Amino acid sequence: MKSLLKHLSPFAPDQSGAVSALFDFGGLIVICDAGGCTGNICGFDEPRWFIRKSAVFSAGLRDMDAILGRDDKLVSKLQNAMDGSGLKFSAIIGTPVPAIIATDFKALKRMAEKRTGLPAITVPTTGTRHYDRGASDAWLELFKTFATEKLDIDSGTVGILGASPLDFPTLDAGNQLSDALKKGGWKSVKCYGMGAGLDDVKKASSAAKNIVVSPAGLAAAKYLQKTFGTPYEVRCPWLPQQVLDALPALAGKRTLVIHQQFAANAVRDEILKHDATSQVDVASWFMMESEFMRENDFHIESEEAFIEAVANGGYDTIVCDNRLRVALPRTQAFQIIDFPHFAVSGRLLDEVK
Amino acid sequence: MNHAYSITAAELAARGRDDIPPELLSSAHLIYSSPATLAFNSPGAQGFGVKRAGLAVPGSVMLLVAPACCGRNTATLGCEASLAERFFYLMQDDTDIVTGRHLARIPEAVKEVCDSCAVRPSAVMICITCVDALLGTDMERVCRKASDYAGVPVVPCYMYALTREGRLPPMVSVRRSVYSLLQPREKVPTSVNILGFFSPLRDDTELYTLLRSAGVRSIREISRCADYEEYQKMAEANFNLVLNQEARHAAADLQKRLGIPSVELARLYQTDKIANQYRLLGQAVGAEFDDAPFRERAEQAILNFKNTFGHRTFAVGEWLNADPFELSLSLIRNGFAVSKIFGTVGGSNFVYVKKIAALSPDTKIYSNLSPSMMFYDGADAHCDTVIGRDAMYYHPALPGVAWNDERQPFGYAGVAALFDALGKALSGKEAAR
Repeated sequence: MKSLLKHLSPFAPDQSGAVSALFDFGGLIVICDAGGCTGNICGFDEPRWFIRKSAVFSAGLRDMDAILGRDDKLVSKLQNAMDGSGLKFSAIIGTPVPAIIATDFKALKRMAEKRTGLPAITVPTTGTRHYDRGASDAWLELFKTFATEKLDIDSGTVGILGASPLDFPTLDAGNQLSDALKKGGWKSVKCYGMGAGLDDVKKASSAAKNIVVSPAGLAAAKYLQKTFGTPYEVRCPWLPQQVLDALPALAGKRTLVIHQQFAANAVRDEILKHDATSQVDVASWFMMESEFMRENDFHIESEEAFIEAVANGGYDTIVCDNRLRVALPRTQAFQIIDFPHFAVSGRLLDEVK
Repeated sequence: MNHAYSITAAELAARGRDDIPPELLSSAHLIYSSPATLAFNSPGAQGFGVKRAGLAVPGSVMLLVAPACCGRNTATLGCEASLAERFFYLMQDDTDIVTGRHLARIPEAVKEVCDSCAVRPSAVMICITCVDALLGTDMERVCRKASDYAGVPVVPCYMYALTREGRLPPMVSVRRSVYSLLQPREKVPTSVNILGFFSPLRDDTELYTLLRSAGVRSIREISRCADYEEYQKMAEANFNLVLNQEARHAAADLQKRLGIPSVELARLYQTDKIANQYRLLGQAVGAEFDDAPFRERAEQAILNFKNTFGHRTFAVGEWLNADPFELSLSLIRNGFAVSKIFGTVGGSNFVYVKKIAALSPDTKIYSNLSPSMMFYDGADAHCDTVIGRDAMYYHPALPGVAWNDERQPFGYAGVAALFDALGKALSGKEAAR
């Protein structure tokens, strides 16, 4: 059955992706739920939550709130929490509850802005999609709300779009990605979501270029290109050293790389650098942008399809989060190289929990 | 709002239980999410939530029928290998949550799950969430259909976070679910069940000894049942001892279905009140308990602690195996000071607030869930020892104990263990976390 998971547990949902994208910008984040979703997002999908104070709240919805659609009550609570807090904006994140009762997020945004006098972002996530969809929507909304002014271009500044702990398995990924670009000659690197702040978002139009490191950042990159003419490039300039170290041995072999698409593509490029005749396919449980796919790349639709693809693929090696191993028959002969993907397993290279 | 809200016990007692300030009422504000509140925001995130609790039935497996977001944290619970193999997920998509079409897939999913297990499960617990609460799903009917189709008992577990402050909150409902598979058996007068927790009482709990002294031969707890047959023997109990009020509804259901009456005891840390409770239990079951040696041991542990560490000033949290207000009152009555309590004031514990107000009017009461806790400054603690995992989070520099182990403390043994643990923490002999 396509929607049945018998070996794996569910991956990070869209609401976690939305929170992850907005977590670093000094806003008040309200998860429009009864409590459980907030616990999951904070307690499992946002590793930064454990190591620093953050303004993440649950709306604390109860059955009558959902039945009666008490948006005004939610906005009053939001206003009370914002008053005197020094927070710069509010964000309301959807869950299955508002999805079912058809909450009007555009109206919520207007109400929140009117009551607080500050910008508000709403992301109508539903809890049924993967994290990258929610992150993509949140990035887009963030730039639409705050990057409104066309500034002079600073030829030494580059932006990084699509970076989050859900996409890269270390809290230091922002620095690592930035350092890699600085080595390439950029003087100033703004890694949105992992280092760059809200003021940098406001000045996004001054970047000479944006580098998109995961599919979640692509919609925002296209928006910035359309609005300000900022060109973008899809590439992942950094990979964890432990993954890079394992790749030379894969030269000439048949390999499947499973991760977020742009990181997986970077792994493929590295393998092909060692031996261009290597056969490397890329697959992902998450967004697969067709223009960055090669022949034999595929989207993984279900656990069942994953097992079948591996069984029939004839791969010597799979580069993926080690957690996926539980779904694969022990009898199959292939090597797994661990490339942690927090959205899959909740594991970081530098464990913080 | 730029500082953590608190109110003194005296001020709160003077306002009365009908005039609790909105800052202490979770329904009146957004709910702050910090590591100190994880267990309250999401009871399933750590410890026993509905998902893990539902698997208390030996040999059972769980099928979570929900959007992916509801099953996400189960990966953590599943880190324990024995649990990992018992969770399955039927994920709902956008169309499912609008139309409810996923319900038609449940019987087939249950069968596929059972067929995939190396050992056929004793039961399949279907965990459903806010989505089905709002859809008004008749899950009892769906479970009957699935049971007929797959040939295995299928039981619903309602993880309805939306109803957490309602008549039947999830953790109350799941207790009924896990005992709902018990089938009528002939009563055995020397058999007793302990209801309330999903993990066993500490082995040194005097309750076991006292019950045996009264002629009880079999004391059963669901968490100690080795297999499904042992679990079914719980149906032969002469009476149920309810140690957590969240099990009251389950006990009432067992009385109605199987004719097993129940007696309720509270987890207390005031030794005189514990003694009183055992006296009343003795009267109810027609026995006279000799609890003096156990009481002496507990009071000696308190005395030893006091003699060694002197007058301590505590901050008491609510993420622990106690009612924070009752525990605080116990500490105050034993001659210690309590400067801060992080707790949820409600109808059942307001009586303790009034007693604390009389003895320690300046004790400050905070709500973990208040948005203002974002501004709580642990450096300005006015305390030197902390109890509770949340209190430890707020005051990382202070010694203390989390006191939220899965093995449940109860009675005099619980009191003695707490003070022994505090003694070790203050001596630096044991890392408290």
